[in-house]
Amino acid sequence: MKELKKIKIVIAGPFAAGKTQFINTVSEIKTVTTERKTSAAVEKNVKDYTTVAMDFGKIRIDDEHELYLFGTPGQSRFDFMWEILGEGALGIIVLVDSTDPKTFHEARRIINFFQSRFPVPIVVGANKQDLPNAWPPEDVKFALDITDEEGIPVIPLSAKNKEEVKKTLLTLLEIIRYSLESP
Amino acid sequence: MALTGDLTTFNFADILQVLAKDRKNGVLLVEWKDMIVAYYIKEGELVFARPVDKVFRVYTDRNFEQLLAKLRIKKEDIHKTIDRFFLPRLGQKEGIFSFTPGFIKFDSDVPVFYPVEDLIMRASRLLTPEEVDRKISDELLVFEKMPDADVKVSKIKLTEEEKKVLSLVDGSKTVADIRKEADMDRLTVDRSLYGFLAAGIIRRKRKERVQKPSITLDLLSKIIEKIKQL
Repeated sequence: MKELKKIKIVIAGPFAAGKTQFINTVSEIKTVTTERKTSAAVEKNVKDYTTVAMDFGKIRIDDEHELYLFGTPGQSRFDFMWEILGEGALGIIVLVDSTDPKTFHEARRIINFFQSRFPVPIVVGANKQDLPNAWPPEDVKFALDITDEEGIPVIPLSAKNKEEVKKTLLTLLEIIRYSLESP
Repeated sequence: MALTGDLTTFNFADILQVLAKDRKNGVLLVEWKDMIVAYYIKEGELVFARPVDKVFRVYTDRNFEQLLAKLRIKKEDIHKTIDRFFLPRLGQKEGIFSFTPGFIKFDSDVPVFYPVEDLIMRASRLLTPEEVDRKISDELLVFEKMPDADVKVSKIKLTEEEKKVLSLVDGSKTVADIRKEADMDRLTVDRSLYGFLAAGIIRRKRKERVQKPSITLDLLSKIIEKIKQL
């Protein structure tokens, strides 16, 4: 049987930003996860399990190609995985928990990490906009120090909402198309 | 929508940066350990501070001029409330903040005694090493001055150290280069860079994208169509 060619998009972001949920929402297979029980006390207060290596989901494009969505572990102690997963990625979506400003600096650090190593398009997803105390996307943008010159759009979404997840992916893909079409 | 958070993880330099970027109007409420203070923000500038015993009182006064009249405070004296209820607390890290935009009506002639850029620099001078590490996280970062940097700098009384650090920001030196050439302690350099970044005086220099996506336009169009149909 002919092996399918893999196209990769990376879903990054701080701990508990909603990366696994994002992939779950659009993947055509049950997301493959590498979760372990959270160990740090501060993390246990947020969720019981966390990604330690990667998650992935996939979407079949045609007879020859599959789109893989790779979710990175959120904690910076696993940042060696960010490097591995970023290699060859078409683009990167950095998810942020809009209700948790203490993670915004970590999100910026993740953007810096990928910007300095992989010169590919990046989109920020301001997640959890369905919750009442979510920061608006324009304020998330300011808090992340994203300047217009960086060309990183901040898209409001709830990772549970399929249409909003699709919109985030499509925004990234349109930037990639623009970069392909430009001389 | 309110902006809420904890001062231990989102300090005053960060908060003022967000309020200033969008030139917001509204009230920033901070619940300190010993009191609640309402900070009045006009077009991104802190103009007035007022301790309150009950939060709801803030929302009953919707006209700034009438509020001053009620409190018997002259406009030319409102900066004294900042001296008393804001500046001494810049270094305090325990507090919960929430910003509610838009409900207060300001007159056009509310004086700004402390420009927000100046307050951001004052807040940056009190940051801990852990706090500065949040923005100045990578010694390979390169900063450049913003086109309007001189205008913003003119509103701030920079220290000699800060002037020296700013002179080293040239769009090519890395943070590591600046730390080395500044010949001063690292925390002072990093605090200065943090403040300049939050005050919109410098920005990260964008790396030129050199990598073309490794995909054909046809295949990309197929992916886009597939995502749309999901």
